[in-house]
Amino acid sequence: MTEFDDDKLAGAARRLTTEISPDRDLWPAIAEAIRTPRRSRWTPMLAQAAAIVLLIGTSSAVTYVAVQGQQGPVTQVTPDLIFEQTSFGSRYSLGPDFQEARDELVAQLDVELARLSPQTRAEIATNLEVLHHAIFEINEALEQDPGNALLQAKLVKAYRDELSVLKRVGGLTRNVMMRNDI
Amino acid sequence: MSALLTANSSDYSQAMVTTTSDGVADEAVWISQAQQSDARAFESLYRMHVDKVYGLCLRMTGNVSEAEDCTQDAFIQAWTKLAKFRGDSAFATWLHRIAVNTVLGRFRTSKREQDRIQAAARTSPAPAALGDVGELRDLAEAIDRLPAGARHVFVLHAVYGYSHKEAGDMLGIATGTSKAQLHRARRLLAQQLKQQGFEA
Repeated sequence: MTEFDDDKLAGAARRLTTEISPDRDLWPAIAEAIRTPRRSRWTPMLAQAAAIVLLIGTSSAVTYVAVQGQQGPVTQVTPDLIFEQTSFGSRYSLGPDFQEARDELVAQLDVELARLSPQTRAEIATNLEVLHHAIFEINEALEQDPGNALLQAKLVKAYRDELSVLKRVGGLTRNVMMRNDI
Repeated sequence: MSALLTANSSDYSQAMVTTTSDGVADEAVWISQAQQSDARAFESLYRMHVDKVYGLCLRMTGNVSEAEDCTQDAFIQAWTKLAKFRGDSAFATWLHRIAVNTVLGRFRTSKREQDRIQAAARTSPAPAALGDVGELRDLAEAIDRLPAGARHVFVLHAVYGYSHKEAGDMLGIATGTSKAQLHRARRLLAQQLKQQGFEA
């Protein structure tokens, strides 16, 4: 085909109709499909949440190993908690034991963090930020799908991880304090 | 817009037709309302753009039934993604992108689905009622017979005027690939049209 033919072809292509009316009204099927509440993006969000939780686990493990190598064994400052009263739905209430321990640790967090090295503090802050983002994302997904057991389990896991980091902060600083005391 | 807002469901479409003289302003209002889950505003957007979306779907699939399905899917997708529309591009362009993705999604679904679509295109090609007459109809039919990759690029670039970069972005291919597919499309079209004595 010559250049001239190309030009003719291009010209003809531009003259083709670009707006075409369908033979039938397509709206009723669309209206039916969108009548139900807007579908949440919970599936990709769930995948995202799972990835975040995985990241948290890896990051926490790295932090743990790094800090342990620097400061010796970590002691736990609170006993393991039971999530027997955790519930989900329009309100996501945590078990009283969990909530109490969490509130206490959060209240102490700034004080405890101030005693750590800047590098460790930054790592813990990053981990907590990732955790809070994960909790937010999972809660958003749960708003769309309150009965989703997998999401509920992910939320519990995220809260567990958060508590674990908070506890670790307490444990680390107590080690520091013990060392300083000596 | 006031007439539109007070129109009841049954005469909504009619009200819309009489209030679209300031189409751009209306469109912005409808987008905003539809983003608040107003299905009636979304219907207005549908009425305003359905011919553009259906036209693109029909050109890309070469089949009426598939084009109808793609159009419906595209608008349903648009509804679910509407909250993300920030006006960075024209709404029509945004819809076009969704429509292209919908068409490609159907092609990618599976080899069997692809075979089914192409078989359907052969058995129930786009009808003559496209508004194309004479030799343009010959060209339209020749486009329908192109392989999918070449057809998609030709439709987006040569018919709808998207640049190679825009077409490549929409189709998920490199700009160079878009150019190569266009060249291939032109060559195949030339072969077909010469046989039909095409003199556009």
